[in-house]
Amino acid sequence: MILSGALLILFFALCFTGIALAVVLPQRHGSFALAVVASLAAAAITGLGGIVLLSGNSFQCPLWTIPELGTLSLSIDRLSALFLVSAGAVFLAASVFSNAYMQRYVGHYSLRSFSILYYALLLSVTLVLITGDVLAFLIAWEAMAILSYLLVNYEHEREKNIYAGWLMLALSEMGTMAAAFSLLLLANHAHSMSFAGFRGAFHDFGPGMRWAIFLLSFFGFGVKAGLVPFSVWLPRAHPAATANISAVLSGVILNLGLYGIVRVNLDFLPISLPGPGLVVLIVGSVSALIGILYATVENDLKTMLAHSSIENMGLITAALGAGFVFAVDGHTVIASIAFVAALYQMTNHSLYKSLLFLGAGTVDMRAGQRNMDKLGGLMKFMPWTALFLLVGALAISALPPFNGFVSEWLILQSLLRSVELNSIAIGTVFAFCAAALALTAGLVITCFTKAFSMIFLGLPRSPQVEEASEATPSMTVPMGVLAVLCLVLGVAPTWVIPVLDGALAPYAVSGATQALVPPFLNPATPGLPPDFVHDFHDLGAQIGAGIVPASGLVVLHRGGARNPVVFAMSTAYMLVVLVLLLAIVFAVVRFWLARGRTAVRRPLWAGGIQQLRPEMTYTATGYSSPVSVIFNAILHPGAAPETREVIYEHFRTEIRRGDREESHILDRLIFTPLAQGAMAIGNLCAKMHNGKLNTYVTYVLIVLLAVLLIR
Amino acid sequence: MLADVLREAEMRWPGNLYNRVDARSGEIECAPEAVSEICGWLFSEREYIFACLIAEERSPDWELRYVWYGAGDDGVIHVVARQPVAEQTFASLIGRVHAVDWSEREAEDLFGLVFQGHPRLGDFVLHDDRWNREVTPMRKQVDANAPLVRLLPEREWRPLLVLNAPGGFAMPIGPVYSGVTESALFLLETQGEDVIRCVPRLFYKYRALEKLAEGRTAAYALLLAERCNGTSAFAHSLAFCQAAEKIGGVNVPSRARALRILLAELERFRHHTAAIREICESTGLAVGASEAAILEEELLRLSCQYTGHRYLFGLNTIGGLTRDFEIGPCLQTLEMAQSILRRLERLEQRLRRTNTFVDRIEEVGSVSPQDAREFGLVGPIARASGVARDLRKMQPYSGYENFSFNVPQEQAGDGYARLRVLFAEARQAVGLIEQAVSALPLGPIRAETAHLAPGAALGWVEAPRGAAFHWLRLADDLTVERYHLATPSFLNWNGFHLATENFSFQDFPIILATFGLSMAENDR
Amino acid sequence: MSRWVLSGLKTGIKTTHYPAQQEIHAGVSPGLPVTGSAEGRTAEICPTAALTSSEGRIEVNYRRCIHCFRCVRSAESAPLDWQQGYEWAARAADRPALETGAFGRSLNVLVVDAGDCGACLSEIAQLTNPYYNIHRLGFFITPTPRNADVLLVVGPATDQMRAALKKAYDAMPEPRRVVAAGVCALSGGIFGPSLVSGAGAADVVPVDVEVPGCPPPPLAILHGLLVAVERKPSAFLSSPSAPANPVEAAP
Repeated sequence: MILSGALLILFFALCFTGIALAVVLPQRHGSFALAVVASLAAAAITGLGGIVLLSGNSFQCPLWTIPELGTLSLSIDRLSALFLVSAGAVFLAASVFSNAYMQRYVGHYSLRSFSILYYALLLSVTLVLITGDVLAFLIAWEAMAILSYLLVNYEHEREKNIYAGWLMLALSEMGTMAAAFSLLLLANHAHSMSFAGFRGAFHDFGPGMRWAIFLLSFFGFGVKAGLVPFSVWLPRAHPAATANISAVLSGVILNLGLYGIVRVNLDFLPISLPGPGLVVLIVGSVSALIGILYATVENDLKTMLAHSSIENMGLITAALGAGFVFAVDGHTVIASIAFVAALYQMTNHSLYKSLLFLGAGTVDMRAGQRNMDKLGGLMKFMPWTALFLLVGALAISALPPFNGFVSEWLILQSLLRSVELNSIAIGTVFAFCAAALALTAGLVITCFTKAFSMIFLGLPRSPQVEEASEATPSMTVPMGVLAVLCLVLGVAPTWVIPVLDGALAPYAVSGATQALVPPFLNPATPGLPPDFVHDFHDLGAQIGAGIVPASGLVVLHRGGARNPVVFAMSTAYMLVVLVLLLAIVFAVVRFWLARGRTAVRRPLWAGGIQQLRPEMTYTATGYSSPVSVIFNAILHPGAAPETREVIYEHFRTEIRRGDREESHILDRLIFTPLAQGAMAIGNLCAKMHNGKLNTYVTYVLIVLLAVLLIR
Repeated sequence: MLADVLREAEMRWPGNLYNRVDARSGEIECAPEAVSEICGWLFSEREYIFACLIAEERSPDWELRYVWYGAGDDGVIHVVARQPVAEQTFASLIGRVHAVDWSEREAEDLFGLVFQGHPRLGDFVLHDDRWNREVTPMRKQVDANAPLVRLLPEREWRPLLVLNAPGGFAMPIGPVYSGVTESALFLLETQGEDVIRCVPRLFYKYRALEKLAEGRTAAYALLLAERCNGTSAFAHSLAFCQAAEKIGGVNVPSRARALRILLAELERFRHHTAAIREICESTGLAVGASEAAILEEELLRLSCQYTGHRYLFGLNTIGGLTRDFEIGPCLQTLEMAQSILRRLERLEQRLRRTNTFVDRIEEVGSVSPQDAREFGLVGPIARASGVARDLRKMQPYSGYENFSFNVPQEQAGDGYARLRVLFAEARQAVGLIEQAVSALPLGPIRAETAHLAPGAALGWVEAPRGAAFHWLRLADDLTVERYHLATPSFLNWNGFHLATENFSFQDFPIILATFGLSMAENDR
Repeated sequence: MSRWVLSGLKTGIKTTHYPAQQEIHAGVSPGLPVTGSAEGRTAEICPTAALTSSEGRIEVNYRRCIHCFRCVRSAESAPLDWQQGYEWAARAADRPALETGAFGRSLNVLVVDAGDCGACLSEIAQLTNPYYNIHRLGFFITPTPRNADVLLVVGPATDQMRAALKKAYDAMPEPRRVVAAGVCALSGGIFGPSLVSGAGAADVVPVDVEVPGCPPPPLAILHGLLVAVERKPSAFLSSPSAPANPVEAAP
């Protein structure tokens, strides 16, 4: 408690010191100061969150009382601590990265204002997570929304960025309003502004009120989380933002939306109807599928990552939705598995997506190019960045032994447990959603093999790429640390799951640890047949159990007596086996097959062509074009404008094809009709104003009559 | 009528020389500036067909000879322009006649001539990544036997790509690719799924055959003519012999003429069977390909059994044939050919009824009649696009005028139409063999005297792939001064890109097979 | 589809028994001149100088003979022995022998056309037809040098194909063999050496087995592949000690 308080004070002190330094120091030292102070501050909140998360002791601290509005207070429980830790980790990496990265803006844009905004964002994000009452929460939330808008709009001299910022701000404000309204409704009913006062105060809510609160809050926070259909701001905001802000945007800000959803629907007003849960599940699945489809066909690296963030947010939301439905149906253990999976995926996404965004920034900075069609062959010039981005790509593609695999596997497994549900209709929805998510998982691999191979393999497709060189350690080290974290979270799920489960402990949906990481070394464990326990014991499933209590290296889901194990999985063993197999293959080849022979490197074979040129190698567009053909109905790429230049009637000199006019399915189905409708109403109103006096007199008369009639 | 054309031309462009060489050929000698107009008029108003461009370095002048032909009485017209050797610039015809495109590029590469107005000179016969642009192998001062000075290219070769689209790239295929194939590089310009355009880069096999003939005897040059393309060796040797016979005024005996037709049609039959096999192979129809391959091998064995060589090498000689054929072997050949034809027809029936096969070649690689005419396509490809060009009918040689046959023609211009033309011509070829055997005149197979004389002449045949022209000029010592071949593959590769616009990638081998062109014949 | 199965079955087995037995069908090979009296102008008639007279007899250099038939059909030449047959392939003396079983039981052949006239390639294409069907011997044509054991070169190695030929050879794994098929690939034939082409494949890559002929018939090429993997003994490239295993003349 005392340490937590000290860390919190240290954090605030560091932030204000940072702001002061930014004002005082000359610009050229600005980025170094930013990196040092901001990373210390981020480390402080990571430590604070870590202490709360591991110790399990909530941190409570009333600040001061405002008459009429109640007491402002700080409160960190394990749930907010989890978000705090992942936010802190991302901020830490992004801050260190900023040192070298922000140099490129020195002289163009004000580093001073960037630093101040950055600290302010760090402060506001922390406050959103640690406030314990509605008023402070809303203030912090609004500050966070505006600050992230300002930071995304940092390169304000680009026309496109301004538009992206506006869209982001407009949607964000709509969301804030809805969220504020729902929270105020709750506060009104609970007669308390404090979150603590919300708990258990809404037993008497009817379904109508519950739906209203749910829809308002889900919309409000869903906009921030980038869920379909209000995800449109995300792919536009990311390319505009700088790399470190992109990392924070995807790794932290989106999570805050999830935080809101979890907080309201799990803590304040636990969902007690299946409907809202299904809505969450469906919205999540659709987000995932649409997100990954657009990511796969996108060629701008950062826009692609933004679409992929939508996909990940969709996955997490789908898992949350499944959890809500299971919880309502009474399957608290499965619900808790789904929630653990969601929180796991969220943590993972923060790590690998910020890693990928930092990598994208590095590539953009060193190769001067973000378009995957123009990149290529960077592995030779930037080996470390390539290695770390490869880890990020493998992790996001959910390939073992990296972290994405564990969480995505848990999500799909929990969805498959829909067989336990009583309603066939709900089961059907689950089946469709599971299918959508499985398709998503497949497309992710296409998407990221494309990204990695088009950026790092092959031949450089533009001249700047050939001049690229490896980034400085202050850029690669944060990526390296994030990559290592991806591996650690991947091979140690049995250590992570109890922690995540602990974050859910206060709510009626915990118990995943008991189901997933059972202490069955002890033959007295109830629920498992002894011979089975014996077998698994021999297999070494409990290796490591002595280090962290109740944790072996195998995740296995314990079912009932008849079906003792639903599934079992161990990424740690996978890693060991993988390394072992590679070692064996290497040894066999090196010491047996190739004994006494020397390896000869044969030149590249390209059909005997004199020199393979970069314009003869596959491009990103080419790689993803089968996907765009198959999903033509959804992607609906407009015909590319084509002009054919011909001389002497028969010599083609140029076939020029423009960019395809891509209309996002959401724009097409929702926003364009909405905008057109709004314009139509506006035009109608404009027509009423014809400027003639007698018309206005008529309007007044009509209104008068109407008022009289109503009276 | 040739005479009318010459007269009208004289009225339009007076002051040039208008010679009528014989009943079927004329020559227009004019200033280099006038060539373009006259040729344009011949092509677009009198509907003459472009045969070839023959460039000759005849000290002290360049002689550029554009050869045109029409049907029957329209005959063959040479439009000749001369200018001093030091002056290397000619006006290009490209604005009026597109068919001359590749001929001019070839002359540019080999002689160093410059065709003003031509948009694509260089990197054609001589690849820019191999040789400096100054290399001109066909010039007289270049020694045919000493290796060319391998001047390093001054710059990196970049393919000439026309696709300018986001994510567009050119997928290279070749020069060594896919099993047993001749060497050529294809650059498939694409954005991923559909190929937007494909242009072949040929002449990997450039052997400088024309240069090698220079200074050698006509008999030696005949070997080169035969080996310009092994799979239509007889046709090319025939064209060469006809050119030489014209120069020497040699009268080929009627028996040799009839036997030449027999052999030429046997070769056509075998070539078309092989082409059908390749089309079956390209669609993955293994049984069909095997059956066609059996027939092809039987035809090869038949050829070898009765002529001594599987590809009919060494049969033609200036003045006739090198060996005679008894009536027995002729009848046996006919019988075998007819039996093979019957099996080929059964194969045709089966192919037509196999939807999976027809679907793959139908509407694939289409060439419109308009394009076929503009690009000067010849042979089965032109005939499948509704352009009935056949030298056997238009300018008969070796006695074809006495045979009754028609020219199969299709309108669709797609891969299936080309396949149908191949089958129809195979049938036609066996019919011609039958006529040749049944009315085989008696007599010698070789002219008594086959003395050659200095001079020049053009010989032509309808080779299996289309019209082939051989231009031969003998010097005073009766050695070859200039030998030029215009081959059907050369004329048709020029139009290959017409069939390869906006197609899906898996159709590429099919288009290639239905065109059935030879790189050896093109590269020479 | 059943139509194709049926017609395929109806065709029956056409495949030759070579190399187990000699193939004696007429027309499988044009044959080669062997030797003969050097009277008359026989040696001068040969346009490629493949014939030389030595001690009153004609000797044939198979690296140069292009099947022009002028020596047998000319009135000015003395009659020459002409021998049917096809086992013509000879191993180059200066190349190291193979370890036995170096290629296992299957052999992948990469065909590179270095400027042939099309006849040699056509004969190679016949190797996979039902009559010869080299697949039964474990021989396969492969489109890439990466898994090729044998490089089968045809053509005189034109300058513009040199780089590709060299690259194909360089890209092949050891052990590898090079079989040059056709007179052009052996000596340049009538095309080389000249201003734009070399004197055969040996200019660019080390040739292990030489298969004469213009073009070599499919069985001769097959013999070349068999010699390359030492399943058949080598022949000689000059007469009179030349072709082994004469085949009965065609009826």
